[in-house]
Amino acid sequence: MKTASLGKKNPEGPILKIDDLTIFRSGKLVLKDINLSINKGEFVGLVGPNGSGKSTLLLSILGVLKSQKGNIKIYDSSPMSRTLHGKIAWVSQAAANLPRDVRITVRELVHLGTLNTKNLFFLSNNTRHDKVDKAIKMVGLQDFENIDVARLSGGQRQRAVIARALATEAEFILLDEPLVGMDRDARNSLLKLLDQLCHDSGKTILMVSHDLTAIRQTAHRMIFLEETISFDGPNEDFPELERLADLRGIRPVHEQDHNHSKSNKKEEE
Amino acid sequence: MGIGLILFDICAPFLEFIAPAMPGKYFPSFFNGAIPGLQRALIASIMVTIVAGFLGTFLLVRNLALIGDGLAHVSFGGVAIGIVLGATSPLWYALMFSIIASILIYELQSREILTGDSSIAIFMTGMLALGLVSLRISGRAITTEIHSYLFGSQLLIDKASLDQISFICIGAMIILVFIRNGLLAITIDPLAARVQGLPVQGLGLLFSIITAAVVVSMVKIVGALLVTALLVTPAATAQLIGRSFKSCLVWTQILGLSSVIIGLYLSAEYDAGPGSGIALVAASIFTIVAICQIMIRTFINPNGNSN
Repeated sequence: MKTASLGKKNPEGPILKIDDLTIFRSGKLVLKDINLSINKGEFVGLVGPNGSGKSTLLLSILGVLKSQKGNIKIYDSSPMSRTLHGKIAWVSQAAANLPRDVRITVRELVHLGTLNTKNLFFLSNNTRHDKVDKAIKMVGLQDFENIDVARLSGGQRQRAVIARALATEAEFILLDEPLVGMDRDARNSLLKLLDQLCHDSGKTILMVSHDLTAIRQTAHRMIFLEETISFDGPNEDFPELERLADLRGIRPVHEQDHNHSKSNKKEEE
Repeated sequence: MGIGLILFDICAPFLEFIAPAMPGKYFPSFFNGAIPGLQRALIASIMVTIVAGFLGTFLLVRNLALIGDGLAHVSFGGVAIGIVLGATSPLWYALMFSIIASILIYELQSREILTGDSSIAIFMTGMLALGLVSLRISGRAITTEIHSYLFGSQLLIDKASLDQISFICIGAMIILVFIRNGLLAITIDPLAARVQGLPVQGLGLLFSIITAAVVVSMVKIVGALLVTALLVTPAATAQLIGRSFKSCLVWTQILGLSSVIIGLYLSAEYDAGPGSGIALVAASIFTIVAICQIMIRTFINPNGNSN
């Protein structure tokens, strides 16, 4: 069921297509020969160790970073081109990126998502309010819409940022480490929300996360990135931790540690 | 006839109407026009406070609280150079210098070469030093005129200055009202705003230029040393009271305007100096509000967490 969207050929072509992407940042090779395509309706989890180039990949998809080699096409256009406005949305990490010394309610934050180049200078617009209502409802923050974002819990705050992205009505949503700073319940309900967005609202999701176990529960497809893509496939096939270490060329230091990680794994499951 | 004089003609009758209700011996002369120039000072102060409060709220979010101070010192350097070059209206030099400085500060910050704070510090001290050095080399001492640029003086506001200040403030206010949503978007989350297609760079630059222009217009009233008092203090106090962005904007105006009126009253009745009077009142209001908040948190609502 989950892999259905993977195997099927999409007649419209992929939403995101990356060919032979290579990126250097300050003279250092960060991404090498990345080939990737994402179809409509997929929920892709992008994982990898710190400094493996996950953020670099996201930033180059958004067009903030320029590639040295290869090319990126989103809906057949280059990153940052005008035709992409309103088709792609960015969800930043609420825990780190929302300014703390500003008072802004959930509603005010979500309202910012409805801005675009056309209505930027308009003073008010009723259709915008409908979009805001809808987005707040989708993330389930109706009861908190007039609360200062800084007073919300980590999970609620991340939901507010997601609602801002939903208010843009973009189809393709990129998320950067949305699970940081959340307890287990908040994390699970957020993943459930993302799953719903993907299944019920037809959104395509590319999500970066450190949290392997969490993302594996939800994503349809996993990508393991460490300079190059060393795994790309349905999440059922994603290697166990030992094989993953093997894939990365890491040998266990002590046999005991090795077993320890195995038993941890069992507990989690 | 400039925009300042039109505004003056509209406001003066109203000020004269409420003048009898004003307390104090000297304070009513800000309203009734008995001492020439004081009405102009009052109108200019109120205008500047309204724009400064609006700007300050955004500056706080952008972590640029000290940019007002920095640009004010840059504009002091500009004034000094203007005086040395024999300019009749040195404030135009101030305007030019601080706009250039604010653009450079913005570029350094957005290209991640320096943080906002460090670039402000460099421009502030560099331009202040340039002004002082050129004053010394040309053999001028720090005269009363220059002193009043540092600390502010209402008597500096002649008809031409009122025109200049009104033009800057009204222009800035109109632009800010139109770009306020976009400005908030690029301040809260620049990357998300960029992905939405908002002109992040353009709005940021426009905001820097407006800030520079408003700071220059403020220098005449509160002086270079005390610009931050009007730009940041009311906005910061409002963050303690307000519960939404909109309510913070409203509170900023209430607090800013009360600071100005009370500050001017103190300066008229006790010769406190207008700039320092306003700054002192603004800081006192902040202190009182902050203490109240701490009391509420500790005694009335000890178990509730505000965050």
